[in-house]
Amino acid sequence: MKKWIPITAGLLAGFVAATITFADFSAKTNTEAASSTKSDAEKVYVPFGQKDDYYLFASGGHSGQMFIYGVPSMRKIRTIPVFSQDSATGYGFDEHSKKMMGDYTWGDLHHPAFSETKGDYDGKYMFATDVGNSRAAVVDLKTFTTKDIIKVPNTAGPHCAAFVTENTEYMFLPTRFAVPLGQKYESLDNYSKEYRGVMSAVTFDEKNTKLNIAYQVALPPWSYDLSDAGKKSSADWAVMTTYNTEEATTNLEINASQADRDYIVLFNWKELAKMVKDGKYEDVGGQKMIFPEKQKGGIYLVPVAKSPHGVDVTPDGKQFIASGKLAPTMTVFSFEKAFKAVENKDFAGERNGIPILDYKSVMEREVNPENALGPLHTQFDEKGMAYTTMFISSEIVKWDPKTGETLDRVPVQYSPGHSVAAEGDTVAPDGKWLVALNKIAKDSYLSVGPSHPESMQLIDISGKMKVIQSAPVDPEPHYAQMIKADKIKTINVYPKDEKNKDAVYKKDDARIVRDGNEVHVYGIAMRSKFIFDAKAKRPDVIEVNQGDHVYIHLTDIDFDEDITHGFAINSYNLNMEVQPGQTNTMEFIADKAGTYPIYCTNFCSALHQEMNGYFLVKPKN
Amino acid sequence: MNGSNGKKLSIVSSLLIALSAVLIVVSLFFPWWRMIFWAPQYPEGLNIIVYPNRLEGQIDIVNGLNHYIGMDNFSEANFPELGYLKYIVGGLAALTFITALLRKKAVLYGLIGVFIAGGLAGVYDLHRALHDYGTNLSPKAPIKIDPFVPPIIGHNTVANFVTSSLLGPGTYLVIVAFILLLIPLWKDRKAK
Repeated sequence: MKKWIPITAGLLAGFVAATITFADFSAKTNTEAASSTKSDAEKVYVPFGQKDDYYLFASGGHSGQMFIYGVPSMRKIRTIPVFSQDSATGYGFDEHSKKMMGDYTWGDLHHPAFSETKGDYDGKYMFATDVGNSRAAVVDLKTFTTKDIIKVPNTAGPHCAAFVTENTEYMFLPTRFAVPLGQKYESLDNYSKEYRGVMSAVTFDEKNTKLNIAYQVALPPWSYDLSDAGKKSSADWAVMTTYNTEEATTNLEINASQADRDYIVLFNWKELAKMVKDGKYEDVGGQKMIFPEKQKGGIYLVPVAKSPHGVDVTPDGKQFIASGKLAPTMTVFSFEKAFKAVENKDFAGERNGIPILDYKSVMEREVNPENALGPLHTQFDEKGMAYTTMFISSEIVKWDPKTGETLDRVPVQYSPGHSVAAEGDTVAPDGKWLVALNKIAKDSYLSVGPSHPESMQLIDISGKMKVIQSAPVDPEPHYAQMIKADKIKTINVYPKDEKNKDAVYKKDDARIVRDGNEVHVYGIAMRSKFIFDAKAKRPDVIEVNQGDHVYIHLTDIDFDEDITHGFAINSYNLNMEVQPGQTNTMEFIADKAGTYPIYCTNFCSALHQEMNGYFLVKPKN
Repeated sequence: MNGSNGKKLSIVSSLLIALSAVLIVVSLFFPWWRMIFWAPQYPEGLNIIVYPNRLEGQIDIVNGLNHYIGMDNFSEANFPELGYLKYIVGGLAALTFITALLRKKAVLYGLIGVFIAGGLAGVYDLHRALHDYGTNLSPKAPIKIDPFVPPIIGHNTVANFVTSSLLGPGTYLVIVAFILLLIPLWKDRKAK
């Protein structure tokens, strides 16, 4: 047997050597939240080399952007331009984003909503709506870039959005402002008759990354404020709050706050989809429009304390909670009771042709924590406990939806609109963290004059609630969504797309093609040069005639993470970026004759400063 | 033990040599050598991984960075060896297998000789390539550095990069295959 020893020993030695050389023994570490032995500072400190546990996607309000933060560090990581131009990324300058934005230069990004699978965030897409110019957008979370924007007709200001159904079948966009269909001119004296608060059901075509409108519902001319989709047993349903059921047309502050009760609109989206399928709709300017007073079914009204703001479905999908805003009350409603009331036709009359469910037969309890004023919006933790923001009394109140008992309260600085808990509106919230999105920062940070940033305060909710960190944020975080970091799978570089006829992946293929007065540049950017025409005496020069229609197709051929290049033409008011592996196009008319330097705007390398060329425009005689 | 011909190798030795042939064939599917580049901004490291018939790793990125110091591009086209190395290795495996069948000590000596010659040629070829790349730097390079020759095994520092050269599993397999060829000499030593 002895003769085998050297053989075995030799083989073993070889494999041991190979293992030592190639195996990766390094252990992965990450920061787990909130061990009780940690100080507040230690809880939010994420040392270099470690990453945050959660992404926070905060709406950027009238900046038209979305802000990405890390939790618990509260460090800002990224701004995603969605509805507004952003020269830093060339958004609104390059062809794709310019086309998406249409003629609009700004937006008012309100409520972000993740795509969901089985009622849980799947980390694939983020949806958002624009109250400013009535649009909806989808952001791809592989690249954190906006992929499509849709302009929604017949509607003005989809504030009451976006919320997605359990498996992202629909994203619903109810509106804040009522307008006449087609937004045509109509006297406000005819408000109740001619105006409508149109809700749109938007579908997302994942394959083509396109948003489409499946159908619309011509709801009464009220203001629709906030909404949520059902979960589990209530998955086919959705709820939204209304105000101005008074149908006031001026001085809404007073006139829309008169009735003691407004409504929650409860609707079954599967039933609406079926009605559309069965042809129970009318064509309005190419949209399939359901008129609830004519095409009956699927929509009900639930009376609620006046002018509610948020309505939020509990993680188990059994209840929905309206936050009173002007009435200091959270009202807990039961889906089961509502379904029974619908089945039994337990109606207390109707309004604008829509049946009203009897309040008492649907309401489970009214919750009124002492001196808690201005309840706006509710999130949940892993035990199903509710956290409601109190705008007027500037605090977060934790309470039990099953008993109505107040469990904990913590002051925040100041006037929280929404709050967001870790995955706090899904079927499976994480608990751990809640961020209060405060409208007033005032004395919280170094003064920057009369106006201040908004503030986001991190609250540890693993035990007694405690504010442990505060981060300034640009206007205006209306709402945010917090997702476990490992659910998001980004790419490092754009993969080569051999089918893209605008892309050039080899330096030698860079070329300039002229067809009449149309000039197509198929160029590359790499550390540290542009090549527009590989065969030219000066490959980094583009020469055109005044008046030429110029297309610059630029590919970043550095397939290396974070090696992004910029492309600006000095004095031509043009700038775009190309991310690693990406091809981007810029289109413009060379209307100014002269000599214009081209340069890379996104610092790329030690020789970035040398990464330039010339854009020469020969004058017309 | 070996009957009339005292120089005939034992069955066990023959099997060892056959196994050696198998390992040589298997080695074709593993990298033989690689170089890892680390820099402050590349803590994860960039790789050039050399298989007998191809290069893998972040070759384009390494080339992109190397152009700053005027180094030639690494590419399969610049290494004609990658076109025929697999045939040489395959041929070596075939010779080894024939040796296992013939079971002749003289042939085994010859094979070991071929192995040693091939190994030395390989080391020389790699060294020559490293020498060429490190010393033929373009005089027009934006960043001028002194010529250098990275080692076949070990570390080297160039500008912000620390390189580490290592043998790959393929080479280890060939080394084991070589050891398997030596064992019969020892095992059948009394047969002389």
